[in-house]
Amino acid sequence: MSLPVVNALVYTLVALALALVAALLVSAEVGWVVFTLGLLLQLGYHLRQWTLLEAWSRQPAPENELGGSGVWYEPFSRLYRHERELRQQIAHWQSELARFGAAGQALTFGIVATSQGERIEWLNRAAEQLLGLDQRADLGQPITHLIRQPAFVAYLEAGDFAQPLKLRSERAGERVVAVRVVDYGEGRRLIQITDVTQAERLDQTRRDFVANVSHELRTPLTVLSGFVETLQELELDAAERRRYQDLMAEQSLRMQRIVQDLLSLSTLESAPPPPETERIDVAALLDKLKRDAEALSGGRHAISLEIASGGDILGAEGEIASALGNLVSNAVRYTPEGGTIRLHWQSGPAGAEFAVVDSGIGIEAADIPRLTERFYRVDRGRSRETGGTGLGLAIVKHALGRHQATLEITSQPGEGSRFAVRFPAARVVGL
Amino acid sequence: MNEYTQHVTKAFDQELSNLRTHVLEMGGLVEAQIRAATTAYATGDIAVVAEIVDADTRVNDFEIVIDDECAQVVAKRQPTAFDLRLVMGVSKIVTDLERVGDEAKKIAKGARRIHQRGQMPLPRAADVRHVSSVTVAMLRQALDAFARLDAEASHEVIRADEEVDIAFKAILRQLITFMMEDPRTISTAMDIIWIARAIERIGDHAKNIAEHVIKIVEGRDIRHPPKEKKA
Repeated sequence: MSLPVVNALVYTLVALALALVAALLVSAEVGWVVFTLGLLLQLGYHLRQWTLLEAWSRQPAPENELGGSGVWYEPFSRLYRHERELRQQIAHWQSELARFGAAGQALTFGIVATSQGERIEWLNRAAEQLLGLDQRADLGQPITHLIRQPAFVAYLEAGDFAQPLKLRSERAGERVVAVRVVDYGEGRRLIQITDVTQAERLDQTRRDFVANVSHELRTPLTVLSGFVETLQELELDAAERRRYQDLMAEQSLRMQRIVQDLLSLSTLESAPPPPETERIDVAALLDKLKRDAEALSGGRHAISLEIASGGDILGAEGEIASALGNLVSNAVRYTPEGGTIRLHWQSGPAGAEFAVVDSGIGIEAADIPRLTERFYRVDRGRSRETGGTGLGLAIVKHALGRHQATLEITSQPGEGSRFAVRFPAARVVGL
Repeated sequence: MNEYTQHVTKAFDQELSNLRTHVLEMGGLVEAQIRAATTAYATGDIAVVAEIVDADTRVNDFEIVIDDECAQVVAKRQPTAFDLRLVMGVSKIVTDLERVGDEAKKIAKGARRIHQRGQMPLPRAADVRHVSSVTVAMLRQALDAFARLDAEASHEVIRADEEVDIAFKAILRQLITFMMEDPRTISTAMDIIWIARAIERIGDHAKNIAEHVIKIVEGRDIRHPPKEKKA
């Protein structure tokens, strides 16, 4: 017999011994009475322990100590310890789980975990935002019930996830998302959603740009090849020949200018940032701008220069000169004969401003924000007539942006425009 | 015995679930159709018109398949209460979706007529685009409400329909003025009216779907939201 059983039986044996002694000393009846009493006491004791266990088992919380005595002490405390350890483990794993959950929620790309039948098991906040789902309401719902685009449904069904799927997320403000799916066994899938709206937009811009460049180059090229054919096939007299050659020269010059402008744009894009110590002599620059404008105008406009205060600019002289020159030549080209063009320079502690104010044809408000787009033209015919490539203001904006300067355009159709360049205080010296 | 009944309900649940999945798949197809059709109208990209017209046969196929499934479920399972309402609701929703598909086809064809006619400024194009985006959103919400069995969202769809109706009337009035001012615009304006009309009808169908969803969901003890049923 093992020790616990012996321990448990000790009191029974004691009762038996007392009963025997009583029976021998007094009488058999007394012996029985003593024995019965002894057993009853023991029964009472065990019942008491049983009620303790019963009460505890209803609420086996670690704060309710399970205290037994005697032979019950050991098993009760073991039970209590076991319960406490289990609870500690559960709490530990719960906090671990919560930590992983929080990490998943904090991810910047969307994650949806699905189980058999594409049912949503879990999703994070980014997925909620990118797909317009609801973290509480949509669990257990097949994801294809909510993201119903045929392309998405077909993608999940086909099960070929080598290439991500691009999707327009209608519920999240027309964003474009890329969807990647990973199978991880037992019909479970992880759906990753990344926002590619920006990249998509860039792609679109690039495609537009390439299309625009091709278009811009094709037009003069068509003209050019047309004339070449004419010259080859027709017998022309000297005057006609001369006229065609002039037109050809004009078109090839146009192409040259476009290529030149494209090159300067790409140079600006890849060049190192402009120097912050090189000082540009603004007074001399403005003077040159005015002379250039007068040369271009040929006396058809009244051109004035006002220098309200001194101050020079720090930066790359070539870039600034070409940007400001561009604005001035635009003003000359878009101002009808007899108009006025005013160049204005002002500087102060808040920075400096160069403005070109003309009395030209003006610009519609709707066109102003798009003026600096590459190849954007308010009036295609007119701009070509005056020899524009459609890249001038794009170059200006780029060159100014490199000097942290901004271009501000205000205009009144029919009355004139004002192109103002603001340089930040950090770029201005010698006040 | 127990195993047998469980198996039966499981299969039944699966059938109901398939029914909903098919309805929503059809809905997705129809949504894509309208989007493509209204985009074709707005951008003049009429290459997709043939695709939209083709997709309509798939929508029609869906209608036949789902109707058949509904009949099967009723015949085999004799559904009651929520299940019955779901099956009945589905067969009505499918009819509405099929009509939406037809309207999308009309929009696409109208867009093709307008844009083939040539480069003509489209009067009120912006308004039509606005209404079409509202109706596309309505249909999406109605189908979302069906997926989530959400009566609250359905009520919102029903409210949005009023906005569409008002906008449609405004477009109509403006186009009439347009036609009176310049009779050369009449044929284009008429086509735009047909398109606007089709869009307005889509709004009505979205509203119908929302009403069916409410019928499916309500009349059920709110303490046991039908989400538990979870198809």
